[in-house]
Amino acid sequence: MSVKYGIMTLLYDKKCHGYELKIELDQLLGSKGKVNPGQIYTTLDRLIRDELVIPLDIDEQERKLFTLDVSGKTELEEWLLEAVPYHSTKEDFFFKWICARKIDYANESQMLEQQKSMVLKEVMDLTKLKTDLLIKGDENNYLLITGRLLHLEADLNWITQVENRQTKP
Amino acid sequence: MIKVSGLVKSFTQGKNITEVLKDVNLEIEEGEFVAIMGPSGSGKSTLLQLLGGLDSPTNGKIEVGGKAISEMSENQRTIFRRKNIGIIFQNYQLLNNLTVEENIAFPLYADGTLDKEKMKEVKELIQAVGLNELNKKQANLLSGGQQQRVAIARSLVNQPNVLLADEPTGNLDRSKAEEILLLLTQFHKKNNQTIIMVTHDIFAAGFADKIILFKDGTIEQIISREDENYAQYLANFMA
Repeated sequence: MSVKYGIMTLLYDKKCHGYELKIELDQLLGSKGKVNPGQIYTTLDRLIRDELVIPLDIDEQERKLFTLDVSGKTELEEWLLEAVPYHSTKEDFFFKWICARKIDYANESQMLEQQKSMVLKEVMDLTKLKTDLLIKGDENNYLLITGRLLHLEADLNWITQVENRQTKP
Repeated sequence: MIKVSGLVKSFTQGKNITEVLKDVNLEIEEGEFVAIMGPSGSGKSTLLQLLGGLDSPTNGKIEVGGKAISEMSENQRTIFRRKNIGIIFQNYQLLNNLTVEENIAFPLYADGTLDKEKMKEVKELIQAVGLNELNKKQANLLSGGQQQRVAIARSLVNQPNVLLADEPTGNLDRSKAEEILLLLTQFHKKNNQTIIMVTHDIFAAGFADKIILFKDGTIEQIISREDENYAQYLANFMA
């Protein structure tokens, strides 16, 4: 999960103030936990420094509003289209997908297709590896890889389910 | 080597002719493990049946180990198959009233080649597929996974160079399917048999060296792990 991209998603097509971002980011994360308010402001500072977010005026309740710059929109869209590698634990495809849904991202199908391709590559590589390990007698690593493959199977089924629901009238 | 050229198979029903296979061309090297994937009705099982000599093509040529089985009579094909090709089916196709041991030994019995030495080999096969304690049990009293183990042992009893498997894990859950696929892989590595497996399951196809993507009666693409974009091809095909 990335607070940076969560904030950018929320600022994609509207202005928000810091507290609003905190509430909506908690909702976006769902069961994954809550974000510390301090983390929101330090991330916002970095986004402003990097010219991805623009600080705006103060609203009627004297709260500072923020919006996403054009360069921020481009970066967010690039991030959405990048398939998530499975050896990485920092990024999470489900989070990326919910960000895409939040902004009605036009290229969601392409995003799912690319992730599916990433999963399939992993499935093919790990299946070969696990049979080699078993033949060498490495039972423990064989079982660990079998576990990873079961997770990949669930991910693949989930992507297929999302695609099937997209094509429903 | 298995060589298929210009293969066509049509079925006639009344005035309707359905072309199930349309100009299939294919070469499979000795010792390769190949998976054939494709949607239901795409003709992949028909192709397997023709490769196994269970049926004859409408047109085209099939060579297995240099012998043109497409030009053989039904009787010649049967003799050739018994000696050279093992077949595993999704629904096992065991003789229900026979025991594990009798089912596995059956091809030898049918050939009239079952002797003491061969029976020893049958026992070794039963051990290899992990059914030692069940060898006197009747086939219909076994679980699906156990029945498929019997079918694998039976398909190997004549030491064929080619093993054809039509959805061998289609009726099994993931963990039983895994056991069957590992068993096939172990035999493949040990005996350097050519394996051609029809499957709709990418997790089964992952065991193969090469995947043939089959659609509308013909080969859409043949992909191997060396292809840079093979995962992309698979994703597109499965979309």
